[in-house]
Amino acid sequence: MATKSCAWTGARTRGESSVPHRSGFFLLLCRFYLLPILKPVLYSLLFSCLLKEWISQFLNVCCLLMQDGKVIVWDAFTTNKEHAVTMPCTWVMACAYAPSGCAVACGGLDNKCSVYPLSLDKNENLAAKKKSVAMHTNYLSACSFTNSDMQILTSSGDGTCALWDVESGQLLQSFHGHAADVLCLDLAPSETGNTFVSGGCDKKANVWDMRSGQCIQSFETHESDINSVRYYPSGDAFASGSDDATCRLYDLRADREVAIYSKESIIFGVSSVDFSLSGRLLFGGYNDYTINVWDVLKGTRVSILFGHENRVSTLRVSPDGTAFCTGSWDHTLRIWA
Amino acid sequence: MCSSSNSIIQAQKLVDQLQIEAGMERFKISLTAADLVQYCQEHRRSDPLLTGISASSNPFKDKKTCVLL
Repeated sequence: MATKSCAWTGARTRGESSVPHRSGFFLLLCRFYLLPILKPVLYSLLFSCLLKEWISQFLNVCCLLMQDGKVIVWDAFTTNKEHAVTMPCTWVMACAYAPSGCAVACGGLDNKCSVYPLSLDKNENLAAKKKSVAMHTNYLSACSFTNSDMQILTSSGDGTCALWDVESGQLLQSFHGHAADVLCLDLAPSETGNTFVSGGCDKKANVWDMRSGQCIQSFETHESDINSVRYYPSGDAFASGSDDATCRLYDLRADREVAIYSKESIIFGVSSVDFSLSGRLLFGGYNDYTINVWDVLKGTRVSILFGHENRVSTLRVSPDGTAFCTGSWDHTLRIWA
Repeated sequence: MCSSSNSIIQAQKLVDQLQIEAGMERFKISLTAADLVQYCQEHRRSDPLLTGISASSNPFKDKKTCVLL
């Protein structure tokens, strides 16, 4: 069991502008819990925490994925490790939590997406129960369960996305249209929604209909690879973060880009974006070790957050909106609340 | 010969895709942007990161002094 230590420091933010609204001012408190993970030095130099996902707000657990082949589930409050699964393939690039919380899907350079059931029995060998679901011809860049535990959506370096049935491993639908690797995807938030957006190395963000496999809309305004896409909470828009150091907001009903979040002083790419619960704030994790917080409606930067000692590789807001978590190449997960 | 028919097929697919996209109904941005703003305003109070929550109800705040292990 890796050691855990608990520490928090005072806020280290530099507010750029305030968001004037009726309550007066905007204040972001920054505290962070350090969750150090002890890993061999070789891996630590190359890769670190890649991805995490928040499970239901009641449990407040986050799932941590490390590129040296382990998937670890943390309890965000107590900082205890709940589960650890060792993947047979060392290069894991994507992970996802099942909506029921009973399984984890991960995949990476092995071109496959495998589903592992989670159990509270620590003695059980979780790796033995894995089920191989998806099969691509290139690395798996992202995966996500749809509304149920039964279907998984995957995106791959072979330029396609695919929808799979978990039980049978059968391909239900494939989505062709990207001209290069697909790096990220996000499902539309509504219960009945059956669209998703994907972003790729061809600088395009495509919106797809899951039932027909058709590309409904396509947006090509970024100047470099799109690393992360995230739907606006209402589902009518989505934001994307790219290696061109900008985040952009696209409105789906107007079918156009409506905002660019950039500054001349920001020259490093965005690895990950997420919205706050109301959609007013957009958090972006950047390769220059910082997190920039943007006012979605005004297009201005609200705050810049420091704390990581290497590039921020992933960022996710908790489902209840009280905090967001960032993972970085400095081997730490930080929770900002 | 084969490559030219391939590129014709590809071009045809592209044209079909563009026609589908062109046939999509688009709303004016003045209306959709107003909807986005309205969504933000409606959910402003339920957003803890925006309006802040009291320390007692913040689950991430330490309740007692921290011990370094």
